[in-house]
Amino acid sequence: MAEPVKKPGEYGADSIKVLKGLEAVRKRPGMYIGDTDDGSGLHHMVYEVVDNGIDEALAGHATEVSVTIHADDSVSVRDNGRGIPVDIHAEEGVSAAEVIMTQLHAGGKFNNTDDSGNAYKVSGGLHGVGVSVVNALSEWLELTVWRNDTEYRARFEHGDCVVHVHEVGPAPGMKGTQVRFLASAKTNHPEGTFANLEYSFKTLENRLRELAFLNSGVRIVIADERHPEPLRTELYYDGGVKEFVKYLDRSKQAVMPEPIYMVGERAGITVEVAMWWNDSYHESVLPFTNNIPQRDGGTHLAGFRGALTRTIGAYAQSSGIAKKEKVDFTGDDAREGLTCVLSVKVPDPKFSSQTKDKLVSSEVRPAVENLVNEKLSEWFEENPATAKIIVGKIIEAALAREAARKARELTRRKTALDVASLPGKLADCQERDPSKSELFLVEGDSAGGSAKQGRSRSNQAVLPLRGKILNVERARFDRMLGSQEIGTLITALGTGIGRDEFDISKLRYHKVVIMTDADVDGAHIRTLLLTFFFRQMPELIEGGYLYIAQPPLYKVSRGRSEVYLKDQAALEDYLIEMGVEGAVLRLGSGEEIAGSDLARVVEGARAFRKVLDSFPTNYPRNILEQAALAGAFDAGQADADLQRVADQVAQRLDMVALEYERGWNGRITQDHGIRLSRILRGVEELRTLDGAVLRSGEARRLAQAAGPAKPLYARPARLVRKDREQMIHGPVELLKAILAEGEKGLSLQRYKGLGEMNPEQLWETTLDPEARTFLQVKVDDVAEADDIFTKLMGDVVEPRREFIQANALSVENLDA
Amino acid sequence: MACPICDKESDPKYRPFCSRRCADVDLGRWLKGGYAIPADEDARPYSEEPPKH
Repeated sequence: MAEPVKKPGEYGADSIKVLKGLEAVRKRPGMYIGDTDDGSGLHHMVYEVVDNGIDEALAGHATEVSVTIHADDSVSVRDNGRGIPVDIHAEEGVSAAEVIMTQLHAGGKFNNTDDSGNAYKVSGGLHGVGVSVVNALSEWLELTVWRNDTEYRARFEHGDCVVHVHEVGPAPGMKGTQVRFLASAKTNHPEGTFANLEYSFKTLENRLRELAFLNSGVRIVIADERHPEPLRTELYYDGGVKEFVKYLDRSKQAVMPEPIYMVGERAGITVEVAMWWNDSYHESVLPFTNNIPQRDGGTHLAGFRGALTRTIGAYAQSSGIAKKEKVDFTGDDAREGLTCVLSVKVPDPKFSSQTKDKLVSSEVRPAVENLVNEKLSEWFEENPATAKIIVGKIIEAALAREAARKARELTRRKTALDVASLPGKLADCQERDPSKSELFLVEGDSAGGSAKQGRSRSNQAVLPLRGKILNVERARFDRMLGSQEIGTLITALGTGIGRDEFDISKLRYHKVVIMTDADVDGAHIRTLLLTFFFRQMPELIEGGYLYIAQPPLYKVSRGRSEVYLKDQAALEDYLIEMGVEGAVLRLGSGEEIAGSDLARVVEGARAFRKVLDSFPTNYPRNILEQAALAGAFDAGQADADLQRVADQVAQRLDMVALEYERGWNGRITQDHGIRLSRILRGVEELRTLDGAVLRSGEARRLAQAAGPAKPLYARPARLVRKDREQMIHGPVELLKAILAEGEKGLSLQRYKGLGEMNPEQLWETTLDPEARTFLQVKVDDVAEADDIFTKLMGDVVEPRREFIQANALSVENLDA
Repeated sequence: MACPICDKESDPKYRPFCSRRCADVDLGRWLKGGYAIPADEDARPYSEEPPKH
């Protein structure tokens, strides 16, 4: 049994120290192994034995640990290490193996501070109590050791050695230790320790996988023989904690291709870190000390967090990203979506409790902080593209956090009085019933002033909004709504803002009316406002509370009377009405059309022009018009007798031409279209209506619109009004003539902005419920506005600017 | 509909966004004046008609 010759530095019986008191373990098992009822203590029994095997692997003596759950609910753990010493222990007078099994706090690892090199420098052990605890809490335990080409065995029952260590026989080339134990259970004996022996394969597998990750290169095999079809998993990870991080995020979307990996030693502490970010918002940092997880963190985690925040902060500063985004971020922002495994190997770790949930060794913090600072800065410098993605994500996190905070603040600013007290801001109404109150969002200060004076104070409130102009680059300006404007707007509405705070029932006005100038800037401000409401207050639009005012675009004066017209179409309506008055259309047949009949003819002419406008611009309008009147576009005509169609069009063109400019000739082209030509002052003029356009849908529609007009212009007509008379050859010419007649004697003013109207005019045209027209905003319109906005913006100012710069650059390169 | 921030499918609860997070990022940009429309000389012509429905 005694070993032959013991070399110095060998793992022998002398390196085992002894402390007594195994009886205490059986009395209060919870203190040593954890809860004996909920299964956690039972599983710790296995881990405790496995840790011995891992320790052998860490010391470089073992490569594999296998765990088997047997059919009789016993568990065996085997490693291929050196095999625990079987020679006689000097102090105890029995074999070292027996000491390890029967004495509390006995183990090779217990001697780790003497630097003798013959014991494990770093060791885990879930509770550091050693395998003797397992023995104490087992009905029986069988120890098998392969050492010196010999197999040894011993057997224990309830912690007591019943068969001493003895040679079983030769085992050439074999080495290692196997412990097989049957945990003491109440189900077998009333005085048993554990409530039952229900090992969970999944639970064991998870912890063993953790160990396999943390101890790169160690193979851990787990087998379950309790079932007819045994389960077996082999866990082996060459990549260590890097693989661990990937495994943890296996169902998440990482924002970078590979985790950042750092390893190094500081003051005898080995620090290994793998980290990356995924697109979720959850932080998952798992700290381990000597393979044991710390649920409550500790000094290693504190060191890591400090270094992370500092390094990223420094990088954001030095790279200029922080300055551009005007956002301060915190450690929490930096850790959003972070998955990290932080593993330290510490010689004599101190924990705040038996369960080792928190590391308190103070020397670990500077070691981790120092290493992470150095390695992470290096990594950021070497990987600028990925660094930018990471910092971008962190800045987004900061933005979202800040937004939520500001939203709470703004929402707490309850009364609109706060806004009213600001100079030049909200002019509130007297009405307190939201269903009767209106709020006008008016662009610009001068228009705001007019609106404030012109409104009905009882129920109309006015909030002037100023679009800020941002000088982005030379000759480039951006329009925006400043944070102040948005803040004031939110307060005035009374609803609060943000997903938690917004409450539509607190809306103070059931009509919110956007009133902007009818120019490009006005359209931009309107787009900004619509986009804001659509994104941040969709309920405002869905509830039908949002409107767009329609201030007039034109003022028409005739003598002393004034008329406001909201747009181009309204102006045309008005001019036609005026132009038709007193006008007579005298047809070639001698028939005369006037009054409401003429108005109808002009309406037809407008419809005709609208169809004409839908043709591509390369087709000359007058040719299309005359061809339509000649019947060239009538269904089936082009395919029946194309030459006849060509002749008819040529004839009409001759009819409308001046006498000395006639001589149109129509021919068929190869694509079954027609070509029209004439010689004008010695030069040939060519016009083509190709086969495609002749047979197009537009052509059909134009033929329909031309139908009623055909007989009117069969021969040239004349428009007579007052003492004027002019030739009319088609609907377009008639429309032009009528509009020109209508404009006679009028003075026309086009409003460039709301500010050009005085308060009375604004009331009469836009504010007065009796006279005004509002457009109610629908979600679909705004989704479109958002789309325009997104396109104009490129969504984020920065990328678009970069795009512009990039392109400017490439143009320069081309020029060079 | 796609989330205006990240382009993922939007969630009716956070419409038009996909998540509370994207909604907050957007709000953050509004509240710090991060949104602007280019209004330079050569901006494309804009329809003078208000949106129809």
